Amino acid sequence: MLDSQHSASKADIVEANFQKLARSRRLYTWFALVALAIAVSWSAWFANDSNAGKFLDRLPYLFDFFIDLAPRDVMEPPRALFDVESPYFDGSFKYDYPEGRVYLIGDFYLPEYFYKMIETLNIAAVSTIFGYALGFVLSFLAAANMNSNRWLRFGVRRFLEILRAFPEIVIAGFFLVVFSLGAIPAMLAVAIHTVGALGKMFYEVVENADLKPDEGLRAVGANWVERVWFGMVPQVMPNFVSYGLLRFEINVRASTIIGAVGGGGIGESLRLSITRGHEAKTIAIIFLLFVTIIVVDQLSAYLRRKLVGEQAFLMERAA
Amino acid sequence: MLKLDTVSRRFGNTIAVSDCTLTIPAGQMVGIIGRSGAGKSTLLRMINRLIDPSGGRIRFGEVEVSALKGSMLRSWQRDCAMIFQQFNLVPRIDVLTNVLLGRLNSRNTATSLLGMFTRKERAEALTALERLDIAEVALQRAGTLSGGQQQRVAIARALMQNPKMILADEPIASLDPRNAKIVMDSLKQINKSEGITVICNLHTLDTARAYCRRIIGMRGGHVVFDGSPEDLTTEVAQELYGADGLKDAFSESITSTSLPTGAPALARERANSVGPITEPIAAG
Repeated sequence: MLDSQHSASKADIVEANFQKLARSRRLYTWFALVALAIAVSWSAWFANDSNAGKFLDRLPYLFDFFIDLAPRDVMEPPRALFDVESPYFDGSFKYDYPEGRVYLIGDFYLPEYFYKMIETLNIAAVSTIFGYALGFVLSFLAAANMNSNRWLRFGVRRFLEILRAFPEIVIAGFFLVVFSLGAIPAMLAVAIHTVGALGKMFYEVVENADLKPDEGLRAVGANWVERVWFGMVPQVMPNFVSYGLLRFEINVRASTIIGAVGGGGIGESLRLSITRGHEAKTIAIIFLLFVTIIVVDQLSAYLRRKLVGEQAFLMERAA
Repeated sequence: MLKLDTVSRRFGNTIAVSDCTLTIPAGQMVGIIGRSGAGKSTLLRMINRLIDPSGGRIRFGEVEVSALKGSMLRSWQRDCAMIFQQFNLVPRIDVLTNVLLGRLNSRNTATSLLGMFTRKERAEALTALERLDIAEVALQRAGTLSGGQQQRVAIARALMQNPKMILADEPIASLDPRNAKIVMDSLKQINKSEGITVICNLHTLDTARAYCRRIIGMRGGHVVFDGSPEDLTTEVAQELYGADGLKDAFSESITSTSLPTGAPALARERANSVGPITEPIAAG
């Protein structure tokens, strides 16, 4: 048993040390804040300096773009969106909304931009699935707790790094040269980047996984594949799916951007209508993109909450 | 017959197990006791080869266990089932499948991955669960069970391996006294009826005394005692646990998983003679 005097002096020492630690922590926080402020103002100045037009000089022209974007009447963007004929139709491409309708059965058609949006979503979905599958396999080889071979692990990790080092748009530029314009190079580019990005997130999940089930299976005499499948996959799957959904959200945006540089889909339509000055079409596309991205994000957030929530619930029970 | 010949294990500069030489005939129930850090866990893991020995040899009959590799090593691990303090089940999979996983080594990987277990295998798994009196939870997720139930599932999985030996690493350290007794009774019963060797790490003297005819004491990586419960005198216990540790080792009413038997003072006294865990418990 501790005598009270002894414990009191011990408390004093702890208190003094705590104070000392807190003081130095505060000091470092201030240092960091000052350094951050200097860095931010310098980089803002640098960006402004290296830009052709000076930020403050050009600021008043910001709204010119929005003025140019105003359609002839309020109903024009909806007409452009749903491919309904325009009263302003003059034979020019600008007001030719029905052009590009995709007829499904008889008179029933899919408006052009909906079709293009589906094309973009399809690029995102296919590339997410391929990236997910390959990232899934590679992550177990990259995780230190599942692969004790240092060289193989090193190789896989560097490989994943290389894949995610290049932005989708750079890979797309390369594949556009090889496969010419269209959805295939876009899919390849997004899928390749996805392998690298998901592979890294996945192996970090695997490395943080509880190893007790795996140890139990090793002691049973299970081989590596069986250990991965039964010991690891059940516990990492909610996180994997959650990351996969998050990646799908990102890939919808990436596919749109790649579309703008020739990868097909809605991005291509957007770029064309902006450069040609088709204001109603531009507004229609931006609106469609906006709604689609919100719907995709909300849906994936809902699913992820369900997944991770369920996991939290299970962990609570196991504890 | 399991033979350990000067088996050692180092982790960096620390020696976890040092020159351990033991012979364990088939069918024995052996308790290994000692303070935490004495090397009990490392020793058991080396026998199952979850950890590779740094030196020495382990033999089982004609098999040179310490030299096994690849699929031969995995089939040894099937023969030498292991039970853990934290159960080490797959919490998100149902109990029946967890038990079936004990068969992994004896079947085709592809059909295992697809979950294609035969009706006969399922019946065997259910029999194992019934034997441990937990068949009613067969379709629940393992993670939703209590600790005592999970440990019984782990024993059922071990039985599913058709093992020649069961190693139990602190099987009751995370359990309440009632479940501890059920688990230890099950191990004892398996040892008796099947003649399977059971080697059990325990941290309480009285449990070891009550269940094991042979007790091995370890201290600082060395085997310092090997004999019957009757030979385990207070002096020997003092050597095992050290002068300070002895008090902890005996004041089991506070720290241990043994069954409470009234006044703590009484329990402490009785720990020197008969383990209180052997006493029957009232149902409910």
